Amino acid sequence: MKSLFNKEKWKTLFYTVNHPADGYYWIRHQDTGSVAIAVLLVILFSLSYSLNRMYASFVVSSVNPRSVDSLQELGGVLLLYLMLCAGNWSVTCLMDGEGRFKDIAIAIGYAMVPLIITFNLATIISQFVAENEEGFYTIILILGIGYGAIMMLTGIMQVHSYSLGKTLLTLFLTLLAVFVIIFLVLLMANFIGQIITFFHSIYLELVFRT
Amino acid sequence: MKHVKRVIAIALLLCLAAPSALAALDLPYDTYTYDYWGDVRFTPAAYVPTATVSGGDLTYHGEPIGAFVTPQDICRSPGGDLYLADTGNNRIVVLTESMDTVQNIITGFERAGGWDTFNAPTGVAVSETGQLYIADSLNHRIVALNADGTLDKIVENPQSEVLEDDFEFTPLKVCVDYADRIYCIAQKMFEGIMVFDTDGQFTGFFGTIEVKISLWEKFWRRIATKEERSKQKLYIPTEFTGIDIDDDGFVYASNIDTDGVQAVKRLNPRGQDVIKTGFRENLGGDLWTDGSTQYAGASKITDVVYRGAGIYSLLDSKRGRIFTYDHEGNLLYIFGGLGTQRGTFTTPVAIEAVGDTLLVLDSYRAAILVFGETEYGALINQAVALRYDGDETQAVEKWQEVLRLDENNELANVGIGKAYLAAGDNEQAMLYLKRGMNKSYYSVAYKRYRNAILRDNLSVILTVVIVLIIGGVAAHRILKKRRLKAGDAK
Repeated sequence: MKSLFNKEKWKTLFYTVNHPADGYYWIRHQDTGSVAIAVLLVILFSLSYSLNRMYASFVVSSVNPRSVDSLQELGGVLLLYLMLCAGNWSVTCLMDGEGRFKDIAIAIGYAMVPLIITFNLATIISQFVAENEEGFYTIILILGIGYGAIMMLTGIMQVHSYSLGKTLLTLFLTLLAVFVIIFLVLLMANFIGQIITFFHSIYLELVFRT
Repeated sequence: MKHVKRVIAIALLLCLAAPSALAALDLPYDTYTYDYWGDVRFTPAAYVPTATVSGGDLTYHGEPIGAFVTPQDICRSPGGDLYLADTGNNRIVVLTESMDTVQNIITGFERAGGWDTFNAPTGVAVSETGQLYIADSLNHRIVALNADGTLDKIVENPQSEVLEDDFEFTPLKVCVDYADRIYCIAQKMFEGIMVFDTDGQFTGFFGTIEVKISLWEKFWRRIATKEERSKQKLYIPTEFTGIDIDDDGFVYASNIDTDGVQAVKRLNPRGQDVIKTGFRENLGGDLWTDGSTQYAGASKITDVVYRGAGIYSLLDSKRGRIFTYDHEGNLLYIFGGLGTQRGTFTTPVAIEAVGDTLLVLDSYRAAILVFGETEYGALINQAVALRYDGDETQAVEKWQEVLRLDENNELANVGIGKAYLAAGDNEQAMLYLKRGMNKSYYSVAYKRYRNAILRDNLSVILTVVIVLIIGGVAAHRILKKRRLKAGDAK
């Protein structure tokens, strides 16, 4: 938490956005990153995403603002973030990755910066856009998402000291791992539910017998 | 203290007055429409039930005519009379426009010296010349009678190469255009509407509905063996359910679309569908049809009526609703429901328009339910009619009245917005067009507004830009010099 108010950490963040490969290298090897800032960035991204869905002009957006629930989206984004980190960590542990869980969390979290900037910029620009000019809006979003993806890729590459091919492979495996996690969580929830019903029926049986 | 008492008294009085005002609109159904996002938006009532006409209330030459039995069709003649196919009683009952007196009861006709009768007539139509066409279903023929009741012609047993040899002609609904061509919906005829020329000769099919097979279903059919395939369900198009003709001779035909996308077609003389489906590309009735109950699923459109000025209404037997669209495919209003109260249906089968009123024939209740338009419904109808005629300025007055009753009416907002746009008031136009959620017209207004601002402030904007550029370059140079100096000092 303290690192949120550390000027050096914020400077590293902006340095990393400008020089992803270099920045992530120092984050891994000199602990210049901050998990708190990374989580804050993810929360900010979720907010920007909800804001975009709610307030982007109806000329460009096909989302019904009434259907947007920003708290639900925040929960979803945080959960996805957690699962991505956990999935990547479990895969890279087995594949000679050098990164710690902390580094992975920072690598993914810092990659949110271009997304935050462009989502909000696109929301503002959408107010000044007419039909047939949606291209401006979309290109901003595409640039942001593209740069974010590049940052995430270099981040994972740097913190684990991987080659590009291996990074792509681990990212694919990470997705698989996320599905496995979801599957296991659902399975566990189901089993726990069954155990609860079992004890509940024992309880009911006892209550009705007496 | 006295003051407080007075206030309370007035408040109580208002409370008493309010429900009675609402009670007048206490209808057994909701009136609603779907907004831009596809959400249900409740509106003031567009139509209210005004009367119910059943056979038991009517007399003919002093004699009671008896209750209708499973009537299937009503048709308004150009002269204003109403023809009702009283299917179960094998007769056609002719009512005056006010529906309180019976003008005639047709039970049969003279043919080759003998008296011929009907057997379950399910459809009636009256041509512009006053000829009466009857779909005499269980006699497998269409009977055309002259205005005086004499037989004109009988259409039966159509012969053609395109018809299968064992085809049995069972006409259900019938319609006639200005050239006395007969359009007929026949039972188990999936190829389309059957068309007969003036002499009663079968000339061909009209407006075939194409079968929709998904890629997935195609795949399964491909890998199935012949034996398996013969046991699968057949992919046959749905039949048409109702038919009407507009002033230009275009045929409106309704059908049951289980996907709820398009339940009505407007067929040009070549049989091509030329209907406009609106921005939503949906003419299928209800949009909210999810669920797993008996009440869920796409609307089952059983009849269509063309009401003039491009407006047409569809009758849904699934939830007993009436959907009204304009010529652009915009949904105007939805009302009606199933039930046994006054103004609700059990098995609605046919719909007809007489002046400002809508008539719905309920087969099980054996009655005609009459709906009269409210101020709200009338305003929308008039505004749409004015726009259809190209009289946009007059339409705006009506749209403003509509907005007074229903602030969020998108069509009204768009109508007013367009008027402001034409008048050159871009800011007001933007406001209304945004409320009406009309992308393209809003964009036109916005572009004009933006260009005007740019034009008026061009000198200021250019000055600011030039100053910024010069300032930026200067600042950059100064900073560079300082940095160099600092470097020298080190």
